[in-house]
Amino acid sequence: MSEQQSERPIPFTSGLTFRQATVTLVIVLLLGLLAGFVELVTDWRSMRGEIRQQTQSTLELVRGSATEAAYQFNDQLAGEVVDGLFANPNIRQVMLHDNFDGVIAERGEPERSAGPLVTRLFGDITDYRIELRHGATGGVGGELVGSLEIRLDEEAIASSFMERGLVIVLVGLVKALIISALVVLIFYFMITRPLLGLHSAINRIDPTRPGDWPRPRFRHHEKDELGQIVNGLDRLMHAFQSVMGQRDKARDENARLGAELDVSRRIQHILLPSPEELAAVQGLEIATYMEPADEVGGDYYDILNHADGVRIGIGDVTGHGLESGVVMLMTQSAVRTLLATGEADIVRVMQVLNSTIYNNVQRMGSGKNLTLALLDYKPVIDAAGQRGQLRISGQHETVIVVRRDGAVEVIDTDELGFPIGLVEEMAQFVSELTLELEQGDVVVLYTDGITEAADETHRLYGEQRLVEVVREHCRESPEYIKQAIIDDVKRHIGTQTLYDDLTLVILKQR
Amino acid sequence: MTGQTLTNSLSGEGYAVEFHPEQDCVRMSGALRLGGLAEYGPISAMLEDALNGRERLVLDLSELEFLNSSGIATLSKFVILARNHGDCALVICGSRDIAWQGKSLNNLKRLMPALELRFE
Repeated sequence: MSEQQSERPIPFTSGLTFRQATVTLVIVLLLGLLAGFVELVTDWRSMRGEIRQQTQSTLELVRGSATEAAYQFNDQLAGEVVDGLFANPNIRQVMLHDNFDGVIAERGEPERSAGPLVTRLFGDITDYRIELRHGATGGVGGELVGSLEIRLDEEAIASSFMERGLVIVLVGLVKALIISALVVLIFYFMITRPLLGLHSAINRIDPTRPGDWPRPRFRHHEKDELGQIVNGLDRLMHAFQSVMGQRDKARDENARLGAELDVSRRIQHILLPSPEELAAVQGLEIATYMEPADEVGGDYYDILNHADGVRIGIGDVTGHGLESGVVMLMTQSAVRTLLATGEADIVRVMQVLNSTIYNNVQRMGSGKNLTLALLDYKPVIDAAGQRGQLRISGQHETVIVVRRDGAVEVIDTDELGFPIGLVEEMAQFVSELTLELEQGDVVVLYTDGITEAADETHRLYGEQRLVEVVREHCRESPEYIKQAIIDDVKRHIGTQTLYDDLTLVILKQR
Repeated sequence: MTGQTLTNSLSGEGYAVEFHPEQDCVRMSGALRLGGLAEYGPISAMLEDALNGRERLVLDLSELEFLNSSGIATLSKFVILARNHGDCALVICGSRDIAWQGKSLNNLKRLMPALELRFE
């Protein structure tokens, strides 16, 4: 939205240069007009003074001749005086009177009515009259012989004033234009042009990469405000870029973690035995369950069918996430490989497993290890009917056995093995325990996600409650028992987050 | 800080490991969740240093609320070292109230039968 606005071209009349030129011109014109007006007024005043003075001195010049003419009633001389005065284009009327108000000589043009402006400007300085005294010295004393009157032509005066006024106005106008142009040019080169450059640079900023903005370089502006604006903007853009970089990094990291979580979740499920495999197991009815926690843990279980029976594995890699998943995957692989080699000695199996995992987690630089119980089941069919033999080895959680009659045995596996991958040598800690299974006997394997599932008051689900549920439903199918346990665990957790994977393997002797 | 105290005390966010030579005791407390075996290197070095030339060493974990798997691996290595070393009696003090210690300390005892486990 804002992007579009900033990219829209600015109409010429809204541009800085045009507006600045217009404003400058108007102001300079107004000032010029004001100055012209003041000049005109001054001119008008001085012109009036000049006219008065000139007229007075002209009259003084002819005073002598006019006095003589009036005194002698010399018409010819009077005519000459009057003509001489009338030759002045500014003089419209000249009258020479004798002392009886008789006209000795007169020249003049017919009365014209001047415009009101002209009358206002010059109407009050058109009429002059001097008294003519014969025998006077310096115009004082002597005998009054007549008077000389002249009337100036206000139109002529006004038109010469107007001419001068016009010149003043024109000069003012030209001055205004030149000053405006100079101001605009100076502004343009000093401020407007760099500003336009900055404007265009800002417009070209790629909002996704502000740090790469086309930073403008203005010569001779490095140390002034413009230079500082550019520096400030540059710092701002780089700050933006760095914040965006951090944001992207956090987003990428989140995406990476999300992807890692997806991979971990997939790893955990990708190699789980299929229902068909479970159904194919001789002598045992089997139900399994695995639910990964929000942050996937490293739970492991496997049911591996083979010619002589079935090998069941259950384990829990420490920690969460991809590394735990990878260790779990290696474990699954190693267990299957060892089964394929036909190694029957469980101590040897555990030793190789431990060595494999230990050396790999050392490479990973991690201290990951896992609890792992391996159970080898062999169906036994003889005259007494169908039975089973279960050999248990490896350190994991307890193994819960509920006999057909409801008798409970909880087998501690701590002494049957050692955490896999924790230390280099662990063969001496491995031992084996054998269980005979009669028809209807139930064996439950689980990971600590079940027993350590916490409710909102941090109370753990516990082994006790698990045993109770199994005992209560021991006559049901493994599937039913499994569901009963899960339902009960979920009831216990309520709305709490699942912090660890939940894994269950239920075996029932057929 | 002198070099002596530097090697005798390690701490970080939420944990502290202190070696008190006069008490023949290394005390670990808090929650240790260092990432990977390498990050436990300094703690490993301090434990080995404490073991050297000592007849008896007490490793007090009674206030160590949490130790991740790399930490447990580090402790396991140290216990094997002490076992192979042979001439230092090792005592580990733990707490029954701390969930991780039950099984793990028993496993340490299995690694070194001469190890004395004391639960408060």
